[in-house]
Amino acid sequence: MNFTLERTWGVLVLLTIGTALIAHFFPEGTGVVVGIMTLAGIKFLLVAFQFIEIKKAHGFWKASLIFYVVLMVLLSFTAG
Amino acid sequence: MNSTPIQLSEENPDRSLAYPPGGLLIWIIIFLELITFGLGILALFYYGRQEPEAFREGTARLNRSMGTLNTIILLSSGYLMAKAVHYLKAGQSKKSFQWLLGTLGGGVLFTLIKGLEYKEKLAHEFSLGGNMFETLYWLMTGFHLIHVWVGMVILFVVAYPLRKSKAKINELDLEAGGAFWHMCDLIWLILFPALYLLY
Repeated sequence: MNFTLERTWGVLVLLTIGTALIAHFFPEGTGVVVGIMTLAGIKFLLVAFQFIEIKKAHGFWKASLIFYVVLMVLLSFTAG
Repeated sequence: MNSTPIQLSEENPDRSLAYPPGGLLIWIIIFLELITFGLGILALFYYGRQEPEAFREGTARLNRSMGTLNTIILLSSGYLMAKAVHYLKAGQSKKSFQWLLGTLGGGVLFTLIKGLEYKEKLAHEFSLGGNMFETLYWLMTGFHLIHVWVGMVILFVVAYPLRKSKAKINELDLEAGGAFWHMCDLIWLILFPALYLLY
């Protein structure tokens, strides 16, 4: 379990730095928005499933969080 | 709240609908908050289409380095929180308390960096009464910061009895406080790119 928590934290930090670098080097474009928000969605689910341990909860809670984040990511594609 | 201690086993978690990690009530709050912030973020996307120039200019005036650093701090404090819950379940309350202190330290650091960012914005006439981007920036980051403070108060209240090595607290209380703390992470993970990176 410890290894999973540590590895999750490492992946989250790497994804955060990666997202900032993408935004810095590719300032415009629909693909960039898709990439940045998809990475944000992956980070959201990593925190929910690994840190909050929603992975151990009833399927309703997993499905609700996945639905929420997918909806937010899809709606973000309409931004700007 | 402390009437019946509930012992949750990591090997045999309760998977029923009424028992998400931290309990049903905290998850009702979490979803209400996620929906509230979600609507705010939708407003951000909507007005971003209406006033693209103002949003592009507004994003350019935000400090992405500070935003990225604060994201890493929140994620790190989330990791410390998860470890605190893990150690409490393993019966190591003193160790759990130490990890909780680290979690609270993350909250303090987040607040300090946010304060520096706010100071910088106010010095450059980036105000609540400016354009729609500035208004949404202040409302949403301010509302989020208040949630971080509320989370810190909850964690302090839950953690305080754990300072003694033989202390016993209800695991569900710590899980509920932890779930609220992680909620601040979840909101920030969507809010940060929407405000700082997309335009």
